[in-house]
Amino acid sequence: MASVQFASATRLYPGTHQPAVSHLDLEIHDGELMVLVGPSGSGKSTALRLLAGLEPLDEGAVFIGDRDVSGVRPRDRDIAMVFQNYALYPQLTVAENMGFALKQHKVPKEERTARVREVARVLALEPFLERKPKNLSGGQRQRVAMGRAIVRKPQVYLMDEPLSNLDAKLRVQTRAELAELQARLAVTTVYVTHDQVEAMTMGHRVAVLRDGVLQQCDTPHALYHEPVNLFVAGFIGSPAMNLFRCASGQPIRIGGCALDLDAAMTSRLASFGGDRVVVGLRPEAVHVGEGPLAAHIRTVEDLGAEAFVHVAFDHEGETAFAVSKMPAPFKGQTGDDIDVGLAGTVHVFDPVGPRIATGPGRFAPSD
Amino acid sequence: MQLDTVRQEPGAALGTAPKHDELRRPWRQRLPLLPALVFTVLLTQVPFLMNIWYSLTDWTIVPPTPREFIGLDNYGDLPSDQFFRDAAWVTVEMTVSAVLLSLVLGTLLAVLLDRAFFGRGVARTLLITPFLVMPVVAGLIWKNQMFSGLYGVVNWVTARVGMDSIEFVSRYPLWSIVVVLVWQWTPFMMLIMLAGLQSQPADVLEAAKVDGASGFGTFRQLTLPHLRPYMELGTLLGTIYLIQVFDQVAVMTGGGPDSTNIPYFVYQRSIGGGWEFGKASAYSIAVVVASIVVATVALRVLSRLLRGEEIA
Amino acid sequence: MARSAGGQRGVGERRSVNAVMAVVAWLTALVFFFPVFWMILSSFKEEQDAYTSPKLLFSPTLDRYSDVTETSTGLLSFREAFFNSFWVVTVSTVVVLLLAIPAAYALAIRPVPKWRDVLFFFISTKFLPVVAAILPLWILARNFDLLNTRLVLMILYTGMNLPLAVWMLWSFFREIPRELIEAAELDGAGLRGQLASVILPIALPGLAATALLCVIFAWNEYFYAVQLNPADGSTIPIWVTTNISTRGNFLAKLSAASVLACVPVVLAGWLAQKRMIRGLSMGAIK
Repeated sequence: MASVQFASATRLYPGTHQPAVSHLDLEIHDGELMVLVGPSGSGKSTALRLLAGLEPLDEGAVFIGDRDVSGVRPRDRDIAMVFQNYALYPQLTVAENMGFALKQHKVPKEERTARVREVARVLALEPFLERKPKNLSGGQRQRVAMGRAIVRKPQVYLMDEPLSNLDAKLRVQTRAELAELQARLAVTTVYVTHDQVEAMTMGHRVAVLRDGVLQQCDTPHALYHEPVNLFVAGFIGSPAMNLFRCASGQPIRIGGCALDLDAAMTSRLASFGGDRVVVGLRPEAVHVGEGPLAAHIRTVEDLGAEAFVHVAFDHEGETAFAVSKMPAPFKGQTGDDIDVGLAGTVHVFDPVGPRIATGPGRFAPSD
Repeated sequence: MQLDTVRQEPGAALGTAPKHDELRRPWRQRLPLLPALVFTVLLTQVPFLMNIWYSLTDWTIVPPTPREFIGLDNYGDLPSDQFFRDAAWVTVEMTVSAVLLSLVLGTLLAVLLDRAFFGRGVARTLLITPFLVMPVVAGLIWKNQMFSGLYGVVNWVTARVGMDSIEFVSRYPLWSIVVVLVWQWTPFMMLIMLAGLQSQPADVLEAAKVDGASGFGTFRQLTLPHLRPYMELGTLLGTIYLIQVFDQVAVMTGGGPDSTNIPYFVYQRSIGGGWEFGKASAYSIAVVVASIVVATVALRVLSRLLRGEEIA
Repeated sequence: MARSAGGQRGVGERRSVNAVMAVVAWLTALVFFFPVFWMILSSFKEEQDAYTSPKLLFSPTLDRYSDVTETSTGLLSFREAFFNSFWVVTVSTVVVLLLAIPAAYALAIRPVPKWRDVLFFFISTKFLPVVAAILPLWILARNFDLLNTRLVLMILYTGMNLPLAVWMLWSFFREIPRELIEAAELDGAGLRGQLASVILPIALPGLAATALLCVIFAWNEYFYAVQLNPADGSTIPIWVTTNISTRGNFLAKLSAASVLACVPVVLAGWLAQKRMIRGLSMGAIK
């Protein structure tokens, strides 16, 4: 059990100009489940592989506990990894797969068997110990991959998109089991995924990466409610945040309707120098049914417990789109004219990225 | 940006990669390669260097002369050496006809074998057997049993249609050898073309069917272009192997003006009776130079075939 | 999406077309196989049967086989030739594998820089005519007292098959999922552990095919054998040629000798059929 630290870690693949991971500074606490999330090419897998020692560092350092492991071979780092495709040894049985690392480290046979058996019990793999991977289902293989890592009792677990090969339903179920298991074992875990829902539900903290650069590292709650820039705001949350480009002069108008903001926000906005801003509204802040903004419905997604209403309206001479989250059942269909109101958290961003201000807001009553 | 504070560790220099980097160990990585590489280099380069040295002398064994350095004289004699030129020409004829004929035949066979039919596996096994037969055996069997003027099966067949008996190997030495080569190498081409046919995506062919293309039209416009890299590969590899044919020439005709190719010629001039070591080495070097030219073309083609765009 | 086996008869395709093609395929296969068939048949004949116009009906005998395998002093015997071939082929193939497996590892699994160049170097040695090296090799063999030994052939056959083996094994090793190697690496397995536990078990069929191809080429090799070992260390290909005589009939005996010479390799080839093309095409085709 140990903490993990990336100190200005950089990896530049030979022949490329942009680093896959660029000066990553990240600290992971002992026992924490840290999720690295980002679109493909964001560097999250590369960062994980730097920690594993499967990629060499070009700059910076990586620490496990107090130890600088930057030049240390993977097998000597006291880590275990769960691979996306599980990487089970095809000609070994489940028991042999799980015991492989112990055998390589010359753990005596009785201890090996006992530990394997114990982990198999925890993961409900006992009936399968003598089977070979090809005779297992996807979910079972995933558990064997987990078991292989757990049995080693490492200081850090590394997981590279371990759930992405499972079907949707199994994924949701396994997610919960995994989170519970990690909490119980209380071993530092670094978890990579491209699925932001997975990130938000599992991580104690989440690190959002983009093009090799860390955007924000925070609790899911903070990421959702206090995104540090436009990218994070648009990446986290599903459906995505509604974003509108507007003129920065007060009052800010969306679709011609003025926004009513509190004093703190207004003063922050006033000291912002640029003449364009981007306003972000989460779907739950947008209400359809009554309001000063005239729009028409593009489509309604009725999910049973709630409905997402996609609307279109005129904004600064062009058509703008928004998604609103409304309770189901929702009366209204494609083509209907409808009014749109706003009541909830308003984020205002600088168009080149950083967030300027956040606060409660609503549409001013129509003049 | 909300960042966690970076813990400053004593002694860890930020911004530089660690010195004792166990992850990059280039010499350790190269180690497994060395035995094979060293062995091959020694076995190929040492004879080559020796050849160069001998080719610059006038060394002969019969009659024994003291080995004297004569510079490039041997090479100067080459262009006017009629026998060498004949051998080169024979080599070209032999190789080109054998490669082309086996390629065409192999493609036809591949088309036939591409469909599922009863006993296909057995048919395939029968068809690849000629390739596995020992080349000297192939030469001897064809010469004595198939082509023989007196007892040959081929003559028995042609006699049925009223033709006279021909002693094939004496009358047509080069073509007799070519027949044997084609017999042995067609399976090789067939296997390559079969791999090509089977790598064609089924959905493309199905789309052609739905679009109304005839069988022949589909073959001409879709399949043949797809097979081109395979044909190139077959031609390339076939040429490399066939240029070096020795066994069949040795047992079927034992040389002779019309069927001596370069390998047999060089053998003849060196330890096969000529014992003119200096000259023979010059021939060898000339052949090596020509091979390098062919090889460069070959490598470029192969490289294109392999780099990223792997066949199958 | 590539087709696994050839096309099935499609909807509406005339049954007769398929049947005709199948017949043609079979006829061609039989025609191609005929010389081999004839050779096998002749090996069971009396000499005069072999010399009379092609006879299909005759009383078979195994005498020719005993004729060719009996040992007479002064002449190369089947036993001796087989013994030599067996040892030369076995040892050279084993050495080839011992050299090629680590080399393929260094080219496929943990590629050294410039691995492509190395691979091309190996294949380029195949382009150089074998005949060009024979004189220096003969001289070297004579100077090291290696003429007429099995050892010289073992060395040469190893060199002959090494590029082929390196290419084939490289292409098979490349197919092993990288994750599997990384997992083994993380679990503490070094080069030997990875080879033993992960790579060789998975690549075993490919390894077998490589070995079989090496056996085929080494067994059939005639040029080096006849140049360097015309007497004591002679191999089977040379032995076959001694079964021709200028006096008396020899066709049936030759057939019997040929059958004996070819059986090991033909069987090996039939076994390795599926994977043979990979080695023959230098790994370009799977």
